[in-house]
Amino acid sequence: MEDAAVREGFDRATVERLAELWEGPEWLRRRRQQAWELFRSLPLPPPTHEAWRRTPPERLAWDGLGPVLQERGDEVARQGLDGLRGDGPALALHNGAVAGSWGAERLRRAGVVFCDLRTAAREWPDLLEPFLFRAGLRAEENAFTAQHVAFATGGVFLYVPAGVELEEPLVVADWVDGEGLVAPHTLVVLEPRSRATLVQRRTGPGTGLVNLGVELVVRDGAQLGYAQLQDLRGPVREFGVVRARVGRDATVRTLVASFGASLEKLFVESVLDSPGGASEMLGAFFADDAQHYDVHTLQEHQAPHTASDLLYKVALLGSARSVFAGLIRVHPGAQKTNAFQSNRNLLLSPEARADSKPELEIMANDLRCTHGSAVSRLEEPHLFYLQTRGLTRQQAVHMIVEGFFSEVLDRLPVERVRWWLEQKVAEKMGAEAPLGRVAALRGLLEEVAQSR
Amino acid sequence: MNERAPDLVIRNLRAKVEDLDREILKGVNLEVRKGEIHAIMGPNGSGKSTLANVLMGNPFYVITGGEVLYKGRDLLEMSPDERAREGLFIAFQYPVAIPGVNFASFLRTALSARRGYQNELIPVAEFQKILREKLDLLKLDPSIVTRYVNEGFSGGEKKRAEILQMAVLEPEMAILDETDSGLDIDAVKVVAENVNQLFDKAAGNLGIVLITHYSRILQYIRPHQVHVMLDGRIVISGGPELAEELEQTGYEGLQAQFAEVAAATPGDQPVRRAGKVFWVAH
Repeated sequence: MEDAAVREGFDRATVERLAELWEGPEWLRRRRQQAWELFRSLPLPPPTHEAWRRTPPERLAWDGLGPVLQERGDEVARQGLDGLRGDGPALALHNGAVAGSWGAERLRRAGVVFCDLRTAAREWPDLLEPFLFRAGLRAEENAFTAQHVAFATGGVFLYVPAGVELEEPLVVADWVDGEGLVAPHTLVVLEPRSRATLVQRRTGPGTGLVNLGVELVVRDGAQLGYAQLQDLRGPVREFGVVRARVGRDATVRTLVASFGASLEKLFVESVLDSPGGASEMLGAFFADDAQHYDVHTLQEHQAPHTASDLLYKVALLGSARSVFAGLIRVHPGAQKTNAFQSNRNLLLSPEARADSKPELEIMANDLRCTHGSAVSRLEEPHLFYLQTRGLTRQQAVHMIVEGFFSEVLDRLPVERVRWWLEQKVAEKMGAEAPLGRVAALRGLLEEVAQSR
Repeated sequence: MNERAPDLVIRNLRAKVEDLDREILKGVNLEVRKGEIHAIMGPNGSGKSTLANVLMGNPFYVITGGEVLYKGRDLLEMSPDERAREGLFIAFQYPVAIPGVNFASFLRTALSARRGYQNELIPVAEFQKILREKLDLLKLDPSIVTRYVNEGFSGGEKKRAEILQMAVLEPEMAILDETDSGLDIDAVKVVAENVNQLFDKAAGNLGIVLITHYSRILQYIRPHQVHVMLDGRIVISGGPELAEELEQTGYEGLQAQFAEVAAATPGDQPVRRAGKVFWVAH
C-alpha cells in the first residue's frame, strides 16, 4: 500500500507543493511533513477494530488516486452557495482554493477573520498556530487523519474575538470535483463570550476521495452553531472527523446532514472539558440506492456540570445501509452531568438496513443519562390515512419522511438550513418540491397562535 | 325520495380480513344520493366499520364479492387517494396520529390534491383564507392546525379534526364512522351541529353515510333513511322512526328475529325487512 501511495503522488514532493500553495509559516510545513511521515508508517486500522467492523477501511483506500492540487478556484464552485447564501458573509472554495469571498472586510472591522485557510496561513499564522491540527484533530490518530494533515488541500478559517457576537450566519461552500483526493479543513475559534453560526455545505461532482477535518474551538462562555451539509453528487467516498472542544459555560450546537456520496465514514465528537459546557448534536441522514453511511458520535464529559443532547435521524431507501454508533463517556469526577442520546432510523424499503449501537461508559455516579435507539418501517395505517385525504402513496411516504425529520428541523434556528434540508428530502423522494413547507406556513401558524 | 340515479350504489358487497377465512360483510346493499343522509346502525361486530373502511379502500380488507359504483364508476378499482380526489371522504372512528407532520401543511397538501393541483400546492394566501373560513364555521380553536396530525389530541379534538378535514376538502360523499363515539353529550351536540352546517352549506352536493352504534346523535342529525346492520348485512331500512323504535327494543330482539329468518333462507340471498316482517330480497 505504501509503495502504491508513493507512486500515485502521496509523496514528499506533493506535500511540499501543497505547502507552497498555502504559503504558510515554517511550523505548518513541519506539521505537514511530520504527518506525512506518520502517513507512511501508520497502517490502515484493522478491519476487526470495533470502529471499523461494519465499514472495512479498505473501502476508503486511495490506490490509483492522487491529491488534487487546485491552484485557483473556478467560478463554477460558487454554485455551491445557491440557496444558502443570503446577503451575509460567504466564501466559496474549489477543492480547497478560493473561488469567491464576500463580506469578509466588514467582519474584519470587528476583528473577525473569515477566510480560506491558505490566506489565513499567510496572513494570520499566529492565530492558527495554537489550534490548527492540534485542537480538534491530530495526525497521529490514524492513517486517515495523518493523510488529512499531510495533504490538506485548503479550507476555511473563522476567528471571532472575545465578546463579539455575530447575528448573521456565515456560509461556506466546498465544491469538490475531479477524481483525486480532496482534503478540506475547517478551523473555527470562538474566543470567550463570542457568538457565531457557520453553515458549511459540501457538494460537487467529484468521484474520488474526500478526507475532511473540522476543528471547533469554543472557549469559555462562547456559543457556536455549526451546520455541515453534504450533498456530493458523484460516487465519492468520504472520511471525516468533526470535533468540538467546549470550554467553561460554552455551548456548541452542531448539525451534520448527509445526502450524497457513495460512502461516508464520519466521527462527530464533542469534548466537554470544563464545567458548564453544553453540546447539542443533531444529525439528519438520508441514503438511497447503495449508499453506505457509518457514523460514530462521542459525547465526552470530562468535567462536572456538563450537558450533551444528541438526536440523529437516519432514513434509508433502496438497498442503502447505515451504521450509527454513539458513545456517551462520563469521566470520573464529571458529576452532575446530563447526557441524552437518541438515534431513530426509518427504513423505506425491504432491502435497506440500519444498525444502531448506543454505548455508555459511565465513570461518575451522580448524573442523568438516557439513550434510546429504534429502527422502524413505514406504517401502513399512516399511509392509508394520508391516502384517504387524496395524497398519492408516493406523497404519503414523502410526508411521513418529512415528519420523521421534522424533530430535527424544528430545532434548527437558521431558516435557510431548514429550507435546504426540505429540498434535499424532496429530491431523495423524487418530488419536485417539499410537501410540508412548514416554513411557507409559518406566517399563518403565527397568526393562528396569536388569535387564540 | 327523489328519482335521480344514486351516486353511491353498493350491491351485494362481501369482504373479509386478509388472513381470515370468515367474511365480515356478507352481502351489503345500499344506495345513497347526494343531498341525503343515511344512518347505518348496528351492534358491535356487525360490520359497520368494515363497510366504511372497504368503501375507502383500506388494504387490510379483501373484497370477496359484489360491486360498488360511485358516480357511475367502479369504486373498487380505484386507489384510496383516487377515491378521495373524486370526493369520497371518511371520518375515522380512530384517526391515527402521524408524528412530525404538521396539521396545516398536511391539510394544504390534501386540499391541493382534492383541487387537482399537480406538482404544486395551493397558494398559501388562498389556503389561509379557506382554512380561516372553515375554522370560523366550525367554531374550532385554531391552534389545532399548528400541531402534529392527531398527535396528543383528546378524543373530542380528534373527531372535530376529522370534521375540519371534511370541511376543507368539501367531499361529495362522506362516511362518518362512529363520529359520536367516546364523546360526552355536549361534544356530540357540537360535532352534530358541525355536520349539519356542512350538509346545509353543501346545498344538495353532499351525501352522508352516518355510522353509529347509538341513536343519540340522531337526535341532532336528522337522517333521511335509517338502516340496521346485523351480521354483515343491512337487514332493515326505514325512516327516522326506525331509530326511535330501536331505542325501545335494542338490537337483541331484532337479532333473534333475524337469525330465525336467516336460517330459513336458502343460499346467500339478502334478508331484509319491510315494516315489521322480514323478507328475502329477490
